[in-house]
Amino acid sequence: MNKIISIFILLFISLPSFAIERDYFVEKTLASNVYAKPYTNLNYNYESLECVPIKLQITKNISTKKDEIFEGQKINFKVREDVFYDNKIILKKGTIVTAEVEIYITRGMNGIPATIIVDNFDIPDIPREKLKSIYIKKGANRTIFVLPFKWALTPLPPTGSFTNIIIGGHAKITQKDKIKIYYFPKWGSELPDDNIDIIKL
Amino acid sequence: MQSFFVIICLEVSWKYIMKKLFCLLTVLVLLFIGKSYAVQYDVTILNDIMLQDHVSEIGTKILNANKIDVRMAFIYSKEDDKLIKGEPSLINRQIVFYDKDIQYASDDNEIAAFLAREICKTAESYQGQLRGIVGAAQVTFAPKKYEIFFDKRAVDLMVTAGYNPLALITYINKTYPQKRYTVISRKNLATVRLANIYEYIYTKYPYFLANNAYISNPYYQNFLLTSINNRQKFQQKILSGSKKAVKYE
Repeated sequence: MNKIISIFILLFISLPSFAIERDYFVEKTLASNVYAKPYTNLNYNYESLECVPIKLQITKNISTKKDEIFEGQKINFKVREDVFYDNKIILKKGTIVTAEVEIYITRGMNGIPATIIVDNFDIPDIPREKLKSIYIKKGANRTIFVLPFKWALTPLPPTGSFTNIIIGGHAKITQKDKIKIYYFPKWGSELPDDNIDIIKL
Repeated sequence: MQSFFVIICLEVSWKYIMKKLFCLLTVLVLLFIGKSYAVQYDVTILNDIMLQDHVSEIGTKILNANKIDVRMAFIYSKEDDKLIKGEPSLINRQIVFYDKDIQYASDDNEIAAFLAREICKTAESYQGQLRGIVGAAQVTFAPKKYEIFFDKRAVDLMVTAGYNPLALITYINKTYPQKRYTVISRKNLATVRLANIYEYIYTKYPYFLANNAYISNPYYQNFLLTSINNRQKFQQKILSGSKKAVKYE
């Protein structure tokens, strides 16, 4: 009898510790869908120097001033010149390549420019692990003259803080921008296993 | 008289033996203490080597997986000398994982979370004019703006290197203080940062929320509890289909 009572007491004490705050929003909006495991790049081998440049051009200008840019936004690029590898054409001029705005940083005080980081280029028949593709576009960087000015005014407080009102430039990717990403055909083969034991903390 | 002499001799020899024994015992005790100190010293060094190796391994894995082609070194240190020497990740391109930081990390994902943030910061110190001086100055002068950027970028780096980005939420939740005001501060409120990370993971890597490995983690649960208002704001944004940035609190 005592055992039964003690089991009940234990259950009563331990039940609150299993109370889990559920993320109902995620359950409602995401749980019904099946998502593929995100891309990982763990089997790399950067030994090869063989590299094929891919010249791109945006199909439609984007600007942080005029357009509403958001993270995850898809952008289209056009291949500017035919791309050859091993005397074979691997990408024809005019092929459309999609990419993604990875991160967008708004412009800020002290001349800090807006920044658009574009990556995840989706090129037909070229796997992502063989691409060196990150493209960063910044607006006019006024920090280079704002900061010396700020430091010069620092002995006269609060005049140094007036430089805060100088804002950096907007970032735009236009059709004039010559974007170049690189395809390394021999990258991505697995490294030989060196059997190093990972020491656990 | 003879017996008296014998007794005295015996007493003298007894005292002599006791003295010798005492000396021997002292020597033994000293030897034992010395040895145990040596053993302890060895254990500390071994522990440091293991931690250093582990930190370097995780950091280098993140660099390689993300094809980050700028050099940086990973150092495990017991002394925090940031105030004297400045931010090592921006000045020397050395990512220092201090003892006080590592004690918050419960698993490899959380170590990766810390390192990924610092990698982003160091990579930024290679950007811009004067061999990165301008980039580093920007990070120093606008830490608030870059803080959110580093958090988001760290999520990307962690995912590509095979780590769970939700660990960044748990790590920040247990490590960073919660200030009262953000307007006059050089830092964002930790709750704002956490909400931004959550939004970023939700929109870009929903897999990790749909298959949440951290749902029973007490620190993640605490984040869910303390972020109800922010998550409600985000929910409204998703349901309305808006693309505007949410003002988190």
